[in-house]
Amino acid sequence: MEWKKVAALSLAATMTVALAACGNTAETNAGDSAASSSKSSSSSAEDGDVISYGDIKLGEDYKDLKTTIKVFNNRTDMLDDDYAGTNWASYIEEFNKLYPNIEVQVDASTTYAEDALLRLQGGDWGDIMMIPEVDKSDLGTYFLPYGDLPTMEKQVNYATKWTYDDQVYGIASTAVSRGVVYNKKVFQEAGITELPKTTEEFTTALQTIKDKTEAIPLYTNYAAGWTMGAWDDYIAVTATGDAKYMNQVFLHTQDPFADTKDGTHAYNVYKVLYDAVELGLTEDDYTTTDWEGSKGMLNSGQIGCMVLGSWAYPQMQQAGPNADDIGYMPFPMSVDGKQYAAAAPDYCYGINKDSDADHQKAALAFVKFMTEQSGFSYNEGGLPIKAGDEAIDEKYPEVYQDFLANDIVFVPDEPAVKGEEDLLNTLNADSELMVAGGGNEKIQSLVEHAANKDQTFDEIMDEWNQKWSGAQEANGVEVQ
Amino acid sequence: MKQEAVVKKKKRTWKQLLRSRQGQQTMIIVAFSIIPLLLLFMFTYLPFGEMIKYSFYKMKYVGPREFVGWDNYAALFTRKDIVGALKLSLYYIVGAIIQIVLALYLATILSMKVKGGNIFKGFMFFPYLINGIAIGFIFRFFYTRGFVFDTVLQWCGFQLDNLPYWLKNQSINNWSLVGTSVWRYFGQNMVLFIGAIMSVDNTLYEAADLDGANKFQQFKYIILPSIKTILTLNIILSITGSLSAFEAPFVITSGANGTGTYFVVMNTIAHTNQKVGLASAMAVFLLMIIFVVTILQKLFFKYVFRNSGVDDESVSARRKHKKDMKRSAKMQQKGGC
Repeated sequence: MEWKKVAALSLAATMTVALAACGNTAETNAGDSAASSSKSSSSSAEDGDVISYGDIKLGEDYKDLKTTIKVFNNRTDMLDDDYAGTNWASYIEEFNKLYPNIEVQVDASTTYAEDALLRLQGGDWGDIMMIPEVDKSDLGTYFLPYGDLPTMEKQVNYATKWTYDDQVYGIASTAVSRGVVYNKKVFQEAGITELPKTTEEFTTALQTIKDKTEAIPLYTNYAAGWTMGAWDDYIAVTATGDAKYMNQVFLHTQDPFADTKDGTHAYNVYKVLYDAVELGLTEDDYTTTDWEGSKGMLNSGQIGCMVLGSWAYPQMQQAGPNADDIGYMPFPMSVDGKQYAAAAPDYCYGINKDSDADHQKAALAFVKFMTEQSGFSYNEGGLPIKAGDEAIDEKYPEVYQDFLANDIVFVPDEPAVKGEEDLLNTLNADSELMVAGGGNEKIQSLVEHAANKDQTFDEIMDEWNQKWSGAQEANGVEVQ
Repeated sequence: MKQEAVVKKKKRTWKQLLRSRQGQQTMIIVAFSIIPLLLLFMFTYLPFGEMIKYSFYKMKYVGPREFVGWDNYAALFTRKDIVGALKLSLYYIVGAIIQIVLALYLATILSMKVKGGNIFKGFMFFPYLINGIAIGFIFRFFYTRGFVFDTVLQWCGFQLDNLPYWLKNQSINNWSLVGTSVWRYFGQNMVLFIGAIMSVDNTLYEAADLDGANKFQQFKYIILPSIKTILTLNIILSITGSLSAFEAPFVITSGANGTGTYFVVMNTIAHTNQKVGLASAMAVFLLMIIFVVTILQKLFFKYVFRNSGVDDESVSARRKHKKDMKRSAKMQQKGGC
């Protein structure tokens, strides 16, 4: 019987310990949240202390601040010492020349989009984060506002990207434009001296490349998926010249995928792809395309061009020995004789609302440093972020030389009107087209139908129009 | 006073009960099982219950929910992509049957005395050990035009021009994908079969030899009845697995070009389109299908093996059997999901 007693005792002991452990964690959790709530309340009490983004003078304010801030972002490559551009360590070194007592710890993830959302829910993610895909109405629950919109627009471009209730929650780290990355040598060999300005000229150019060179004129990168979804980025500003198109007009348009008969709008953007596949101007077997391999192929002149954002340009240059052959041209579409290029902010810095005042101040200083003094956006081949810089040609990296030479107008998308902030998401989800929101399948199917010739382009566009109208109807959207 | 006495008496019995052997036993059982049961409930049944609840809502991961009743289930039968995805499962079921037959055939051969049998076993089991994602990448290059597969076929005298595009051509790309999954899993099935066949008593073969039975008859009357449990299990697991095929189409073709299986479509609906309600309904529906298919198979095998009693097996074989079953179940658990 003795051993039984021992067993029972030890069991009881384990259980009490386990229970106690549960109790403990619960308590500490409660304590934490209590502490954090008291922290946040105290920080809001000190709000007068926290100078807003616009008022910070870099290198003057908060000079004595002694703290450690944590930055969570998507650039794992920039953590490496052998990163070809400027890496995080160098930026932080520069920052520490101004603020020697603020230590910056950078953490990055390769699957950032998902990880960021998870950490955001957890709450304890540090001080600065690249704002992931959250609904705009939720911004205020996670992030510290930088200031109101009119003030912030004087400070930075693209302030509207993460704005809710007139408060700005995100500042763009860099901004990209949309065009076509191409191999200059291939275009020369084919005898194309002037860059195509309309879709017909573009298709003719592709045909010429096919006839006169060995290169694949247009590489779709079908298998990667997201490279197909990238075509959605061209239907707004590029195809209409209208800054309001994507977030306002598009939502209320009856049949936005219908043919406008003037060579513009979504219809003609997608038609470029459909025609190219139908005419055999793309790779032979699209199902086995390889994204990493395609970079080297473009670099060595086996590919004529690819339709991708400007961020792809440096990657194509680094993929082989022929960096000078890589060029970046505006998307071949003219609206009333003028070419437009979308300018879109990349990930934006958001600051943790629940950090204490010191951390927030340090974070503000760091964000302002990254935006105004680090040259981050320029180094990464991006458009100027600091307001006013966009008027200065020198602030544009070399990738945009074809854009500047052709007097392309850079236009950022305007945000949705009040009350319709999430309408695009809703319509996208209901119609399952996911325009500019990961709708890779629909464009992949476009390629399939073009290759198999089992559905005409107009039929596909009709189908999309129906889906879109269905979603508009289901949500009671006014249609023009 | 009387009441007090009653209370006292009850209390004593309660204490007595605790002290008694039976009471101790119950206490130990409860104490030991409560934690695993609690965990099981929290991480399996509670989320599952939640999922069933979700399937009646129109909802995203965040934001407001709207109760829509059976609408999501109705959509399962009207949406072309979901119905099409279910039809795709037939390819994988055919693949599963081929896989089982192949595995059984090789297992029977390898369980007889074969030179270098262990090396063959090793080679054929090896694919199962490779990570599914890696297999996806391997086969993407394998099927690429002019790469591995085409080169090998060219050695055999085929002309490249006559060869189809293995992943582009919509009439064969699903077979290509089924091929990869057969390649990956048949080795595992085979090893399980070998394990079961090994447990058959050797004297049975000797007796059969004396009676003049040939190898096929030995297979039919000795091996097959002895391994029926493991055979049934393997078939059930393979068919269930083919209804939920995911890795191969997801990695190799990302479900495009008419290769989107049920799971791939479900993944897109849940994560890209954020229709969580519909995706939950799909999951519940798939579970129903799996239940039905499993019950049908059980009935089928009950009918097929109605004549072979358990008596055919020696006691030791049976014991070994159970072990095998357990092991394979464990392996499936590890490998599955």
